[in-house]
Amino acid sequence: MGSNRYMLFFTPDLINEPITYRMVKDFDLMINILRAEIDDTGGRLMIAFEGSPQQIKSALKYLTDNKVQIKELNEYVHKDADRCTDCGMCVSVCPVSAFVVDRGTWKIIFNSDKCIACGMCIDACPPGAMKLGQ
Amino acid sequence: MGLKRTVEEINARIKKGDAVVMTAEEAIDLVKKDGLEKATEQVDVVTTGTFGAMCSSGAFINFGHSEPPIKMSKVFLNDVPAYGGIAAVDAYIGATEESSNGRHDYGGAHVIEDLIAGRPVKLKATSKGTDCYPRKEIETFITLKTVNQAYLFNPRNMYQNYAVATNSSDRTLFTYMGKLLPNMKNATYSSSGQLSPLLKDPKLRTIGIGTRIFLGGAQGYVSWEGTQYKTNVPMRNGVPSASARTLAVIGDMKQMSTEYIRALYMNRYGISLAVGIGVPIPVIDEDIMRTCALTDEELFAPVVDYALQSRNRRPIQEVSYAELRSGTINVKGKKVKTSSLSSYYKARQIAIELKRQIMEKEFLLTQFVQAMPEERAIRPLDVRSREEVL
Ligand code: SF4
Ligand code: SF4
Repeated sequence: MGSNRYMLFFTPDLINEPITYRMVKDFDLMINILRAEIDDTGGRLMIAFEGSPQQIKSALKYLTDNKVQIKELNEYVHKDADRCTDCGMCVSVCPVSAFVVDRGTWKIIFNSDKCIACGMCIDACPPGAMKLGQ
Repeated sequence: MGLKRTVEEINARIKKGDAVVMTAEEAIDLVKKDGLEKATEQVDVVTTGTFGAMCSSGAFINFGHSEPPIKMSKVFLNDVPAYGGIAAVDAYIGATEESSNGRHDYGGAHVIEDLIAGRPVKLKATSKGTDCYPRKEIETFITLKTVNQAYLFNPRNMYQNYAVATNSSDRTLFTYMGKLLPNMKNATYSSSGQLSPLLKDPKLRTIGIGTRIFLGGAQGYVSWEGTQYKTNVPMRNGVPSASARTLAVIGDMKQMSTEYIRALYMNRYGISLAVGIGVPIPVIDEDIMRTCALTDEELFAPVVDYALQSRNRRPIQEVSYAELRSGTINVKGKKVKTSSLSSYYKARQIAIELKRQIMEKEFLLTQFVQAMPEERAIRPLDVRSREEVL
């Protein structure tokens, strides 16, 4: 369920269209807007979908039909397990608590499906274990 | 007062395979279960561990002589300057030294890690040339296998406790304590608390010059008091509740592993070296067992506001390691998320590994040759005239 996070890119001519509104209405999706920004290059909307795989598939098709570019955000950052020392510096820096301490082993677990791609952990990790996606 | 043991007696038991060795965590549980007196009778050695950023670290390397020979004066290892003002082919590479080629995220600590990992490192050196050392420059590659000696000699490691860092200002601060978010959105700390070597023997009754320790995977030694060693600090439960003693340590890099030595880059601050150290504490009497069994609930650290850019930062309050480790602390009524800079996971691995080595007779304890200073106050550096310093 949690992996349904996308970055939607709107070219400037699309910004005034109520695309997201129609998508929510027509496909009966629950959405959560994680981040939204607009500048002269267009708009970027980070969004999480909740719904059946079929609903999400149709919604994504609707978006591409309307010339919205889509990027899946499952792997915005990844943790290099060899590099990670399980210190925990990332834990208090991540705004959505994607890092948790396992209180049995004291290892730091990274739940990438919570990530909202803010980039805060990348330069906060002292041994450089947090790296940009693929 | 109850039972007493000497280090020789303990070593004799280790050699016979009879010694009872426990990590500090196990010792805590045992004292809770059986009480102090019984636990003291049962346990010979308690192992401790820490793995954290220890900036004051570095390595001496002897490269061997080239043909024709050179008296190296400027020395670079992977473009990181090393100190070459020692004889002809000796150099010291400091962990925090930054690369001379403009890369901020590579420095002395990375050279040390590369060497321990077995990776080739580029050596560049220049000289004025002398009659006995005619060569003026050399560029070549070295590894730990090609050099004569390479040993870590860290002037200040293993701080006995350390302040918790937070930031009340409205901008993010980039410090050696990591990224401190504005408006006290987080706090960082750096101690393994109930596993930390110097918190478990707070007066250094069993640790002194010559004490054999686990250093970066090798068997190393305590070589001197650490720089900035001090004893005049606030105490809680008989243990300093602020940064106090430190130790200088030495050990052979050729025996070390990158599991326990790791280069760090603190964004917009600089380079540091994470060093893994374990100290075995001989259970010489009940008092040492009592401190070995102190828990995170009983060990405290001061919270300090790094928004104040002064050496006189006053602690806001004290918090226990149990609170720090819970994930949030309460600072002036505000819930603040905590992050550890040192790895409790690795600290535990080190304590477990040291226990294994002792039980398998690979590691014997040492009676130190000289105790550490009982009292020491720290001196500040002020701008003074020639007369004022006399
Ligand atoms: S800050 Fe980096 S090294 Fe430390 S636990 Fe997080 S990912 Fe691992
Ligand atoms: S990129 Fe941001 S949200 Fe994602 S894990 Fe790192 S800190 Fe958390």
